[in-house]
Amino acid sequence: MVSFEILPQLIINGLIAGSIYALAASGFSLVYYVIKFLHFAQGAILTVSAYIFFLFLNILGVHYILSAVLAIISALLTVWLMNWLVYRPLRKRSATGIVLLIASVALLMLSASLMQALFGSSTKVLNLSKSNITYTFGFLTITFIQISIIITAIVLFLLLWFILKKTRLGKSMRALADNKEVSQIVGINPEKIYFYTFLIAAFLGGVAGILIGLEQNLYPRMGIIIIIKGFISAVVGGITSVPGAIVGGLFIGLVENLGIWFLPSGYKDVISFTILLLFLLFRPQGIFGVKKRDDT
Amino acid sequence: MIHEFLFSFVTFLFIYFLVAVSLNLTIGFTGLVNLGHMVFFGVGAYTSAILTINGVPWYFAIIVAGVVASILGAIIASITVRLKGDYFAMVTLGLVFIAIAVSRNWISLTRGALGLPGIPDIFRNNFYYTLFTIGVVTIAIIIIYFLTNSETGKIFQAIRDDETATAILGKNTYFYKILSVAISTFFAGIAGSLFAHHLNFIDPTLFDLELFVFILAILISGGLASIKGTIVAGFILSVLITLLRFVVVTPELIGPMRNMLFLVILILILIYRPRGIFGRVDV
Repeated sequence: MVSFEILPQLIINGLIAGSIYALAASGFSLVYYVIKFLHFAQGAILTVSAYIFFLFLNILGVHYILSAVLAIISALLTVWLMNWLVYRPLRKRSATGIVLLIASVALLMLSASLMQALFGSSTKVLNLSKSNITYTFGFLTITFIQISIIITAIVLFLLLWFILKKTRLGKSMRALADNKEVSQIVGINPEKIYFYTFLIAAFLGGVAGILIGLEQNLYPRMGIIIIIKGFISAVVGGITSVPGAIVGGLFIGLVENLGIWFLPSGYKDVISFTILLLFLLFRPQGIFGVKKRDDT
Repeated sequence: MIHEFLFSFVTFLFIYFLVAVSLNLTIGFTGLVNLGHMVFFGVGAYTSAILTINGVPWYFAIIVAGVVASILGAIIASITVRLKGDYFAMVTLGLVFIAIAVSRNWISLTRGALGLPGIPDIFRNNFYYTLFTIGVVTIAIIIIYFLTNSETGKIFQAIRDDETATAILGKNTYFYKILSVAISTFFAGIAGSLFAHHLNFIDPTLFDLELFVFILAILISGGLASIKGTIVAGFILSVLITLLRFVVVTPELIGPMRNMLFLVILILILIYRPRGIFGRVDV
């Protein structure tokens, strides 16, 4: 049994893991909400962004802010390529959700193989002087990077909320999510809005990739591991609800870390997949989703 | 040397045939997109390995491997087949990660990440093992072929095309979907057992997604619901990735290049030829 003193630390760790999952889930959930398919290649965006950040920061010695900007630009370019070369042709022949899902998983794995070919299979550590700063409060230890993750997550979610609720683009996105045919009648161009949706998701993914790289180091399969947790978070929170993805992420992060009380840490994945299964079977609309008749 | 290479190539080829054809039964014929097929392959491999290492005769171990995989498949299917397409696919993908976690952490049974070495050979001579694999896989594929043309097979396909209509005609679609998964996972378990005795070593990387996506690429390139297509595509793709070994000079690049090759083929087929080479139904 784990001693009681580490409980606050487990909660903090849970919140940090949860913020990471929420960052990964938000872009994924946004794409599902507007475009209606499981965009697993969001994990590829995270991987590309993290590795490009590593390339500029550590190999080429560029300043960290400029490296971060370049990494996010690479994330946007990646999603533009994916949409242009794979997703748009598939939508044109009205492929089913399962086909888009398989294509998306293939793109996700392609990113892992590409990074392995370019950078090797070893784990890469990002060297950033700030990442070594640590704060201690009694039993608690938290790093500068972990604080940045939580703050960035909050800022990005507020920004996402603002875009969805207060802008013309957000209105078009919600209209498309609600009813594609009617939106087209009132003059909304779905392809254009889909493209912007992908860009927003890639921006979230790009930022997430950099922060996750700083917190957990880089390895070719990182995107696969993170986006699976992002997916679970999105389902638990309610996959058609963007705020739900954030709550789902925090929930999964906390449960996984508090699960150490009962199970060895190697079983974290078993805990989260059991939760996924329970939600899919008994509450497929998630915590926040609205129940629809075709949800199950 | 060249003989040994050829025997090994043919053995792997036939094991992949069986994995892909058994997966075709659920994805292609019944329309259940089971992304966790390799879990049952892995369970078969581990079952057979653990039994034979502990002195159980191989012919018994192979059958038990299939039966254990099949029972597990039936239990999981009975919980999950009610889920809608996307969600069924995702839960079965989730099984892969549970299998990885369990095989890494249940040290007393699987030795964790160290893997299980010293899985006994069935035959001293690799040539006999290749013939044995060809024989077992051929019999299995013939059984699956006859099954898909039987009344049960027709019901599987009816469920894929219109589940509600099939239910209205009085067929218990829930039972038939579980049956389809149970049969499919039985053969996946047998394939896993053949794989374990060929390599003599298994570890949790058995469950890695790469092998599964390779099998999926074979299935989709060949065409869903076409056993002939799966065999032809399995042969072509296996030859392609083997030839790549001679083109790529750097050994560290062979793995990722091989993955990229079949992933790109998979994506191109999805976009330009969704029915594959011989398929009768769209993906």
